[in-house]
Order: sequence, then structure tokens, then C-alpha cells
Amino acid sequence: MVSRVDVPKGGFNFDNYQRNLILQEKGFSLPKPTKTGTTIVGTKFKNGVVLGADTRATGDTTVMDKNCFKIHYLAPNIYGCGAGTAADTDKITKMVASQLELHRLATGRESRVATALTALTQFLFRYQGHLGAALVLGGVDVDGPHLFSVSPHGSTDKLPYLCQGSGSLAAISIFESQWRENMERDEAIELVKEAIKAGIFNDMGSGSSVDVAVIEKGRAEVCRGMEVPYPTIQKVDSYKFKPGTTAILSESFRNFVTITEGDAMDIS
Amino acid sequence: MSGKNCVAIASDKRFGVKYLTISMEFPKMFQATDKTFIGISGLATDVQTLMERFRFKINMYRMNEERDFEPITLANMVSSTLYERRFSPYFVEPIVAGLDKNNNPYINGMDLIGCSTTACDFAATGTPEDQLYGTCEALWEPNLEPEELFETISQTIMSATNRDCVSGWGAVVHVITPERVITRTLKTRMD
Amino acid sequence: MDSFLPVQVSWTPQTAASGSDFYPYTNNAGTVAGISGGDFCVMAADTRQSFGVGYLINTRYQPKMFKLSNGSVLGTSGFYADGLTLIKRINQRLEWYKHAHDKEMSTPALAQLLSITLYSKRFFPYYARVLLGGLDLEGHGVVYGYDSIGSYEPCLARATGSGGSLIQPFLDNQIYRKTPLGILQAPHTLDQVKAVMRDSFTSATERDIQTGDYLELFIITAQGVDVEKYDLRKD
Repeated sequence: MVSRVDVPKGGFNFDNYQRNLILQEKGFSLPKPTKTGTTIVGTKFKNGVVLGADTRATGDTTVMDKNCFKIHYLAPNIYGCGAGTAADTDKITKMVASQLELHRLATGRESRVATALTALTQFLFRYQGHLGAALVLGGVDVDGPHLFSVSPHGSTDKLPYLCQGSGSLAAISIFESQWRENMERDEAIELVKEAIKAGIFNDMGSGSSVDVAVIEKGRAEVCRGMEVPYPTIQKVDSYKFKPGTTAILSESFRNFVTITEGDAMDIS
Repeated sequence: MSGKNCVAIASDKRFGVKYLTISMEFPKMFQATDKTFIGISGLATDVQTLMERFRFKINMYRMNEERDFEPITLANMVSSTLYERRFSPYFVEPIVAGLDKNNNPYINGMDLIGCSTTACDFAATGTPEDQLYGTCEALWEPNLEPEELFETISQTIMSATNRDCVSGWGAVVHVITPERVITRTLKTRMD
Repeated sequence: MDSFLPVQVSWTPQTAASGSDFYPYTNNAGTVAGISGGDFCVMAADTRQSFGVGYLINTRYQPKMFKLSNGSVLGTSGFYADGLTLIKRINQRLEWYKHAHDKEMSTPALAQLLSITLYSKRFFPYYARVLLGGLDLEGHGVVYGYDSIGSYEPCLARATGSGGSLIQPFLDNQIYRKTPLGILQAPHTLDQVKAVMRDSFTSATERDIQTGDYLELFIITAQGVDVEKYDLRKD
């Protein structure tokens, strides 16, 4: 039992490591972490960047989340799509977002995409690929639009269009056949939507709906559920149960008491 | 599982080692705040350790801030507690369920390293996860009233645990409404 | 349920290069379910065929259920090639039976035949989860559930395959209606059973990534076998 106030020291805690090794040796299987068997894409266009993602999170072959949000906020002008271990992409982007926020407050300048990229890669490299986070990073700063991909080991790529996750092959086929330089905003959004849909339908690890983020100079727009390419099939029947169907052994109520205050105290 | 202005959270009561059942009164859920419950499935020692750690953190928050955790804040606290041990995790999968200050349902399921999944319908964890998801998906519908929600969640957990040989042996259901928390223990198969 | 997975016994492939990790099975997944009623039997399966490892879909329409020559329906999931071979063997045996006895084999007899066929490959099993549905000698609906090496039992409702663990508890709930109060539901009509079947597959498709695309229903009555096709999610 915790009997004193723990001051967080920062960094990861490895207290259970040895214990878990022993448990696993003895045949205790550990629960599987949620992965995002994902399709995430990004492309540059005339004066900005479009990012796209599907919304399915899986644990093995089961869908853990039908509508998860894979486009993570990093700064008002920078967003990152995450693929891989869901917890890692989630927490790393949150950590970097807070670093960038502090950096902005300290310097009074808009964050640069390169700063976010460096923070991410240095962090990932430190953990030698054990943090399973693959990202598509996009943003617009003083130097114009930028698009990068980051691998779990901390290596980076700088490309005009790119895809990651299990559905990346399906998505890249759309880009390779239809991508053009200096596209208009709407064209780029359409192309990203098509690429994500290719992933949703042809890759079992990707599914549900299309999320899109458009980042331009001085403006970023995140559109949740921009397209739902396949409607949820309605059930034929309703399966409500009559009250009293379930047999119970005991029952207890805990009523909340609403405290109604009297006249407000005169504090003038 | 969420309903119309209400949420329900249920768990079985078994505690066992492999196929040997040791206890049929093992609490897996606890009340975090008035209208929020945390349910934890997984390795029993970690379930108990975490329950104590969460209780400690909840009490500290209450004393420091002079207010109760909102469910979403609570879920974030649980999530970061788990992610702190990214490379030496607790073998648990928690669920946070409750009503927020506007009495809107909030449900959050997590994996062992704190990847949180906010659901508008239901969340399920534990050994019969597949069975639970299958039954939830089939039986749940939106806007259930508290009593209907109780029946649906009870039937779900009973059907699912009956198809998992290491779950069952009784079940507890809490239904949280803006007015009260209703707690019921179910009469289930004991094998 | 379905806990028996074929364990690879030490088996040296004669043709593969020595020392290679040749593994003769693939899981093409998919879900099969069956519900038996008073004078009918409903068998259902999705039609997605996927590739074992990775997230690839081989095809969206590859029927997993086969009407056998005597009017019963055999559904297979797991390794599709093994399923097909099994069907071929069974159909051959049915043919021989017909010529030897001048009558169709009954469904219960076929169930037994299927069991021994599976057990004949006890140590190099067919990696197929099969389900047999049909009408018994009195004309009542019957579903037989199997493991991969021939253990079988007749049941009211059964689901197997990748989405089997999602569907089975729902079928228990709706068809068996096992409650501690012992309330058993009134006999189901064909329409009710069809609705339960369709809803269980729509639900399983939401959560199981290997199930989807189309749902095929085989409805077996004394009049014959009707086939119905419905949409499932395609993502």
C-alpha cells in the first residue's frame, strides 16, 4: 500500500519488470496492448498539408475501438497521425505537445515542424524502437508546409506524400497513381479521402470512417468523421428485456442528497 | 454500458488460480467518486495494488483540489498511472464508468499500458472479452432507461461469462443514475 | 470453446527444403453458425476469405457452406483448402453410400461419418471448424458442432470460427434462454431465427475483423434448401 506521497521523478518506472519476466516464464500470458492496425496518410498541396487517418483500433483480430482519433494535436499549426501501439502514439504526442507549448511560451514564437520532429525522433531513438510509434507529421510554419514520417526507431523521411500503417500499401497505390504537384486544397482532401478509403476496405486492420486534418498558413482544420464510407447495418430486431428477467440475490440503493442552499450570504 | 442519462458497470465475482476457483466474493469494482466507478480485470495482486493506489490518488486530489474527480480526469489519471509502467506493466485492464457533472454518461476502457478508449456505447475487458463484445454488440441499443439498462447489462455479463470457464461465479451490477446508485448482485450459474 | 487447435506434431516435410519453417496450415478465418428449429434448420456463414497472417482479404465472396447431396448443409471455417478437401471426401462417400444402399444418407448418419473422417486424421488434422445442419429422421431441425478432430454433439444453436466466441453467447441468450429462473422461451419461428442469425452476424462483423462482406443463409426445410444473401460491413 502506498503510505507516502510519491513525487513523480519523470521517466518510466521499471519496478515490475523482473516480476513480469518471472510471471511470463511461469506461463502467465499478459494481456495484449491495443494496436492501431492503421491507414494513415499525409500529402502536401499548393499551400499546406493534408493529413488523413482511419478510425479503427484493434487488439489482435478484435476491434477495440470503432471510432478512435488518430490525428493528434502537437501545436496549433502542427498535427501528427499515429500508427502502431496506440498508447505509445497517444502519450508521445501528448508529451511533445506539452514540450512545444512550453517552448512557445518561453520564446513567444510559433512552433516549427522541425522542432516537433526533433523532439519526437530524439525521444524515440532513446528507446531504441521499444516504443512502437510510427507517425506522419505535418504542419505549416515560417518556412512553409512540411511533411515528415517518423519510424519507431527514430529515423525520418521527408516526402511530398506518404503513408504508414498496415493499410499503407493500399493507400500508397492511390497516391502513386493520382498524386500531382501543387494540387488545390479540395483536390488534396479528395485524394487523401480516397487513399484512406482504400485502406479501410482492403486492409482488415483499418476501418470505420475517415478523419482529415488540413493545415494551411495561419489556419488548421480538423474534420472528425469527414466521410463514413460504409453505413452501419441496422439490426432487424430489438433485444430489450422485460424488467424482472434477471434474477437477483440482493439489492441496495445509495441515494444522492441534493443540498439546496438557502439565501446567498451577503458579502457586499 | 451507457444508457439514457445513466451508466451501468458490471463484473463477475470469481477469483481463481488457473482452473481452481478460490473465492466467489472478489471485488473487482470500486466507487471512485459519487457517480464514478472503476472496474479492474486482470492479475488479482495488481488489481488490489492499483485499487489502493487509485484510492490514494483520488483522496489526495479531493484534499488538494477540494472537489471530486470528473470521470474524464479520472480516466486520464488511470491512464497515466498505467503508462508510467510502459515497460513493466501491471497486468490489468481497467474500465472507468460514470456520470459527469452534467450527468452525461462517460465510459472508458483501457489496455494494460493505458491506451484509453472512450466509448459512447460500451466497453469490455477481461478473459471473456470476445464474448462480451459479441453480446454487447447484439443486445445493446441506445437510450436505455436505467431498469432496461440493468437487464441488458446483466444478460450480457451472464451470457458471456457462461461461455468462459474462468469467469462467473456470481456477478455484481451497479447502475448509476443522477439520483442514486443501484447495486444488485445477480443469481447466476455457479459452475 | 473450440479450444482444440491442431498442434503441429513433429512432422518432417518430405519435399520442403530441410530446416525450413514450413507450416502446412493457414487460417482463412470466417464464421459459421447454425440454429435448429422444430421443422427447419438455419445455417449461416459470412463470405469473406482472408489470409492467415497480416490483414489481407483474399476475396469478398467465397461461400463457406455447401449443400451436400442428401440435403444437409456443411459449413466450414479455418483453413479453406482443408475444408474443400473434406467436402470432397464427404461427397464422395455420400455417392458411394447412395449406390450401395439405394437411398440418401440421413443427417445423423452423416454426422457420424463426418466425425470419423475428421478423426481419421487425428495427428495431422484438417484445420477446419465445421458445422453440420439438416433435418433428422423425424424431420426436426438439427445442428451438429465439431472440433477439428471429430468430437461432436448435436445442439440447438452453435457458432464457430473467428467470430464464434462473439456469437455463441448471444445465441445461448436468445435461443437457449438459459436463465436461473429456468424460463425457456417458446419455440422459435423461422422468421425469428432468421432475424437472430442476421443480427448476430451484423454484430460479430462490427467487432471481428475477419468476418464480413456478405452473409449467406441456408434454410433447410422438408421442401429443400433455400439460400438467402445479405450485406455485411465491408471494411
